[in-house]
Amino acid sequence: MSGLLEVKNLKKYYETNRGTLHAVDDVSFSVEKGETLGVVGESGCGKSTLGQAVIHLRKPTDGKIFFQGEDISAPSSKRLHELRRHMQIIFQDPFSSLNPRMTVKQIIGEPLRIYKVSKDKAELEGRVAKLMETVGLASRFANTYPHELDGGRRQRIGIARALALNPSFIVCDEPVSALDVSIQAQVLNLMQDLQEMLNLTYIFITHDLSVVKHISDHIIVMYLGVVVERCSSKELFDAPLHPYTKALLSAIPHSDIDVPKERILLKGELSSPIEPPPGCRFAKRCIYATEKCSQDSPEMEEARPGHMAACHNIRLVNDK
Amino acid sequence: MTAKDSGGTKFLQVKNLIIHYETDNGVVEAVNNISFEMNRGETLSLVGETGAGKTTTALGILSLVPNPPGKVIGGEIILDGENLLKKNAPQMRKIRGNKISMIFQDPMTSLNPIETVGAQIAEVIRLHNKVSRAEAIQRACDMLEKVGIPAERYTDFPHQFSGGMKQRVVIAIALACSPELLICDEPTSALDVTIQAQVLDTMRQLKDEFQTSMLMITHDLGVVAETSDNVAVMYAGEIVEYGTLRQVFKDTRHPYTRALFDSLPDIGKDVERLAPIKGMTPDPSNLPACCSFYNRCSHRTERCAQIDPKAYDAGDGHLVKCLLAGGEVREP
Repeated sequence: MSGLLEVKNLKKYYETNRGTLHAVDDVSFSVEKGETLGVVGESGCGKSTLGQAVIHLRKPTDGKIFFQGEDISAPSSKRLHELRRHMQIIFQDPFSSLNPRMTVKQIIGEPLRIYKVSKDKAELEGRVAKLMETVGLASRFANTYPHELDGGRRQRIGIARALALNPSFIVCDEPVSALDVSIQAQVLNLMQDLQEMLNLTYIFITHDLSVVKHISDHIIVMYLGVVVERCSSKELFDAPLHPYTKALLSAIPHSDIDVPKERILLKGELSSPIEPPPGCRFAKRCIYATEKCSQDSPEMEEARPGHMAACHNIRLVNDK
Repeated sequence: MTAKDSGGTKFLQVKNLIIHYETDNGVVEAVNNISFEMNRGETLSLVGETGAGKTTTALGILSLVPNPPGKVIGGEIILDGENLLKKNAPQMRKIRGNKISMIFQDPMTSLNPIETVGAQIAEVIRLHNKVSRAEAIQRACDMLEKVGIPAERYTDFPHQFSGGMKQRVVIAIALACSPELLICDEPTSALDVTIQAQVLDTMRQLKDEFQTSMLMITHDLGVVAETSDNVAVMYAGEIVEYGTLRQVFKDTRHPYTRALFDSLPDIGKDVERLAPIKGMTPDPSNLPACCSFYNRCSHRTERCAQIDPKAYDAGDGHLVKCLLAGGEVREP
């Protein structure tokens, strides 16, 4: 096994009244230590479910997860408790992911208390103060409640809480989507600084393509529960191969008014992930779709060195 | 104040508008003396961060500022030669939804969940036009088709639609009476990029078809670049930079606008670290007497702490509310 985290054929299904919902379907990837894997896709494509399944906040239906070479696909509850020290998560909404009845100090100190890391109260307070300093929260906020703070500061609390136990791996689920652009830049810079300082490994989930390009080393693009493309961040933006990725990239409104735009407008909308029909999930909206696309689901293939894509017509799409 | 003067009278003129919220904890100065104007068929974008006063400005134009605590303290809003602030409630009701329409940010909450989407469109048509029920239904069906929803879905309820389709229904309601002015408050922020592209495309087509003027409220500079003729950048309730799209985007003069561009991750560029704007926006209930951007500005001088700058004309109606507007703040 190579890499800090290795995920193989991970599946997460939900049983609903209308059938089985395939939230994450046969997803494989690996993340090297110290790097950031970006996960992009539109709402409902299963990217958050994937992030939560990887750290066992949701129990995967099937598939293997290896963490530092150890199979953690089905850990005992005792082992899971230990694993959580090393795997943490930062949530999207800094307004609902913090307990409104706890002070900043209590929120950041909670993981330390649960894992009985500190000998006494003084040491615990010292560690909390250190964490607050690390994420750039002034010590005067220690006894305030989350509602007294703005979104950027609240997200810093979430980051401090995730860092409390010195994890090696953090799932970041849309950590900056709820923030204003000027604050978003502050938080992104903080996360990059922390990554360098503490040698952290991130899975960075977002729907914002400019953010993901900025922060990621590798990127996987998801569509309706499956991965359609996987490659380095630079390669993805320079030379996307999958028709969905191409459309996605072309849809980003660009703030440079002198760059000519060639927009691929997609028809229709995401179909339902409940009992998906056989074939490529993207076929209905794809302008290149052939008969084969609605019958066989395409496998991930290495179309270029280090660049994987799942599309039957990859040559046709890119031979122009 | 002119951004791009084409002579003649303007379709919409907002002059020295001031809106305050009077709360128990003091007066919140949400909109402070702003002026802008629009021609027919033109799109003006109001850009700024949360709390800059964009939405309050829009509500002010519609006389929908919640009162109390909100209060229009002064100024004029002249639409087609008539001052909207002098109208009484019944007169405004006739204007809203007819001459001026608004698209709200969140399509999930701006539709009535227990009425069919068709009935919600027909309601506006019946309210503002003397038409029979059958004709209203027919026109509602036409509107649905126009925004790209099959007319058969007239009898569906909002929860049966996806986010993008709900926003199209909202657009259909807003455009049902062919308004002359359409105010869009973050119309696509709640949508995914591919759906956003579809919705923006629909709006652009409809705008051309109906010759509607649009006031676009957004924090997304990409959306601004794609939709606008003119741009007004708002900060702490003031317009700090105002001009044509090209003037504001290509000849950026105000340090705040510059900083806003720099703090965005750019698809086209590779940078190690972003350049965030230091600090926070000032508390609108306690605005500084000097330039409101003083605390966060990286170009500030001593004079900036003493004077609240007026808007300077940097040429061709490009207005900049900064002492350094004479060209000292430029792209490096």
